[in-house]
Amino acid sequence: MKRQIPLALVFIFGVILIIQYFVPHEKSEWIFEFLMDWIYIIGIFALALGIWSLIRVSWDKIRLRRENWQYSVVALLGLTAMIFFGFDYFRNFFNAAGLQNFMFRHFFDYVMIPIQSTMFSLLAFFIASASYRAFRARSLLASLLLLAALIVMIRFNPYFGPLTAYLEQTASWLLNVPNLAAKRAIVIGVGLGIVATALKVILGIERAYLGKD
Amino acid sequence: MSTARRTSLIILAAVIILFLVSWFAKFSAVQNTGAPFGISVRDGFYITLAAFCSLAIFSFLYKDNPYYKFAEHLFVGISAAYWMCVGFWSTFVGNFIPKVSRTLSDFFEVPFKSFDIFYFIPLILGILLLLRLSNKYGWLSRWSLAFIVGTTAGLNLIRYLRSDFISQVSNTFVPLVVDWEGIDAFFSDFSLAANGQFIMILGNWVVFIGVFCGLVYFFFSKEHKGFFGTASRVGVWVLMITFGASFGYTVMGRVSLLVGRLTFLFGDWLGLID
Amino acid sequence: MKEILMVFLALLLAGGISSAGAQESAPPPDTGTLVVTPAPAPPAPVTNLNAKDKPNDHGAGVVVTWTPSADDVVGSTRVFGYAILRAATPEGPFLERGKVPIGEGVFEDQGSLDEVSPDYMADHVDYYYKVRVISPDTTVYADSEIFGPVQCFGQWFNTNKLPVLIFVLCFTTLAIFFITHARRGAELYIRPLAGIEAVDEAIGRATEMGRPILYVLGLGTAAEIATIASFTILGRVAKKVAEYQTGIIVPCYDPIVMTVAQETVKASYLDAGRPDAYNEDMVYFVTQSQFAYVAAVNGTMLRELPATNIYMGKFFAESLILAETGALAGSIQIAGTDEVAQIPFFVVACDYTLIGEELYAASAYLGREPVLLGSLKAQDYAKAAIMIMAVIGFVAAIVGWDWYVNLFNVPSN
Repeated sequence: MKRQIPLALVFIFGVILIIQYFVPHEKSEWIFEFLMDWIYIIGIFALALGIWSLIRVSWDKIRLRRENWQYSVVALLGLTAMIFFGFDYFRNFFNAAGLQNFMFRHFFDYVMIPIQSTMFSLLAFFIASASYRAFRARSLLASLLLLAALIVMIRFNPYFGPLTAYLEQTASWLLNVPNLAAKRAIVIGVGLGIVATALKVILGIERAYLGKD
Repeated sequence: MSTARRTSLIILAAVIILFLVSWFAKFSAVQNTGAPFGISVRDGFYITLAAFCSLAIFSFLYKDNPYYKFAEHLFVGISAAYWMCVGFWSTFVGNFIPKVSRTLSDFFEVPFKSFDIFYFIPLILGILLLLRLSNKYGWLSRWSLAFIVGTTAGLNLIRYLRSDFISQVSNTFVPLVVDWEGIDAFFSDFSLAANGQFIMILGNWVVFIGVFCGLVYFFFSKEHKGFFGTASRVGVWVLMITFGASFGYTVMGRVSLLVGRLTFLFGDWLGLID
Repeated sequence: MKEILMVFLALLLAGGISSAGAQESAPPPDTGTLVVTPAPAPPAPVTNLNAKDKPNDHGAGVVVTWTPSADDVVGSTRVFGYAILRAATPEGPFLERGKVPIGEGVFEDQGSLDEVSPDYMADHVDYYYKVRVISPDTTVYADSEIFGPVQCFGQWFNTNKLPVLIFVLCFTTLAIFFITHARRGAELYIRPLAGIEAVDEAIGRATEMGRPILYVLGLGTAAEIATIASFTILGRVAKKVAEYQTGIIVPCYDPIVMTVAQETVKASYLDAGRPDAYNEDMVYFVTQSQFAYVAAVNGTMLRELPATNIYMGKFFAESLILAETGALAGSIQIAGTDEVAQIPFFVVACDYTLIGEELYAASAYLGREPVLLGSLKAQDYAKAAIMIMAVIGFVAAIVGWDWYVNLFNVPSN
């Protein structure tokens, strides 16, 4: 019962979605939109579960005075403040005015967005450090990697004089031909892997997601 | 007091002073544009806060430090709550409530659409998911999980079969010879132009061999020896060229992200860029 | 006297001539007479008008076809285009549904299934069509015969998607055949995967150094196939970790992934005979914001200093940030993802990388279960079939076998 019903549900809904693809009828489209809506609604409950886990872990850290427990206080304060503003100081608990609350929006614009953008911009430094570490011609494969990367990186550099045009064409050819070929091979393999795994999940062969009793 | 602790306190004091100086400077700058006193104080504070959060994250490049930890934990808490609020109002109240109850729709001030009894099923599945917190009834959460996994598996099976399999195979059907008019014409019109016959034929052959050898590399149930091994090795070479080209292609894009952040710091915060 | 009379007659004669000439040069005054110019002839109407339900759709669609007007020739100025008109009864009123330019002989009348839409087109209701040939003078046109009744309705099977169905059935048959074959005890070879072979060594290293293992399941949901494959690998890794009595840290992006990962790790500790060593805080939810998650995992890497980082699942732009921070922390890194755009970064920054399909093969490699090995064999046979189809496709592209190429053109929706 603990495993049979979930396996049956996986099979039933998997087959429904497969059949739905082939049926253009209006009722089939309705089923698809319906099921997608269900997934979004269940996702909200999953989010609540996640928030609970975050609060629990942070609270345990604070309570047991584990290392860096002070920062868990910061996390909980940030969480509480955002919920407080998101529900418009609990004045407008019953409508979405909280989402337009100026503190809610300001925390989003002046804390979330700057930190997010800065994290993203760290990639510039990390791509340089990764290049420095990885681009060593230790073997044929590493040399191929290095050469291809160099050609593509310097293709728009005007300081190579008459070579610039050839570099650009070579880089363009590399990006449009062997790049395309290898990516296609990877994508075909991934597609087959996904199809096979999805089939195993639907048929109940792959059950890792159910855990164990 | 140890040296490390004294140093930390000095740095903390310096950061606080710098924050206050920046706040005052931004407040003055905003007020000079004619903004009221309250708005100037508020905007000055927020721009300074945004700049210090950015610098706190950049400090991670040196090493892990209390300012990075502060920004990280603040970000985690705020972002978790942000998505919860948005998800609650947009999905739960916006999508679910209008389809189950007119009273609740009026209560939450959203337009009621129509009563649909089937929408109680995701509600029940959602509550079952929350039972995960119970040791005794936690196994019921598998039903919700099974629904999500089954639905997505069915969707992915078809979607990826069409896009990653059939479409990709179809796109590999390129002619191995292009505009062929005989050997004499081929050599007399020979050129290395990108749209020339030679380059196009070469390109098609490389695509064909690249896809073929790449697929051979991904063969798992046959040992890579002999012809198979050679083809697999060629596949790896093509893969390495691809990875190098892709890596090189993204470098400029990543640098532009940094340029964006530096523009904010030097422009909006320090006012050094117009 | 005679002379005066002759002058008088001459004057009379001159006056008569001039008045006659004036009569010819100036028209008489308008007295309301109608001037009729011949009307232009209407163009020839269309012929062979036909309308039928649009195939392979959800309804509310009719395809109208006709033979263009005889006056619709190159250089002709009598035909400007065609207007398609529809009514619910043969008597009308006929409303315009669309226009097509000259030379065209087909029109898709696509309505909406939404009853409140102004374009609502009900299924199983009679419609009547006629096609109007429009000339440059909008008052001059020619209507065809009325065609009808025709009804539209949704189909229960999209025949354009038949190739997909055939592939699904073929692959399913292949997979079931090899799984059954493997279950009967057939030996199935699987080539070594360097990344997975390194896992044991990496866990051993972590045990010697007394440092934990960091396992990152990626940013996918629990329903993503890559995440499902990652759960299987996590189970094996957690079991080894429990046996070696090393620590494991699993920060999760998705709450459902967290619940499944907790069950998986707990079950692994049970299998290893060390249920007491399991701590629920090993697997925890961080946040569902991409870069907040990355910031937290980065912090964990630099504080906990794991000996081994394993990244298995769906990753996006944060892949390089994670891998480089792990390298800074001095960890051995093993990565596997099916995101094609992120594989180069993992290849460059990590010690071992499972490329694309290798991630899905890893679970079969680790467990060596017949069922999983059989499925892998089916995938390989499917790849072989692709190679054969590609070779035939090359030939088809040269000799012009369009029917073969069209077999693989499947609509996206």
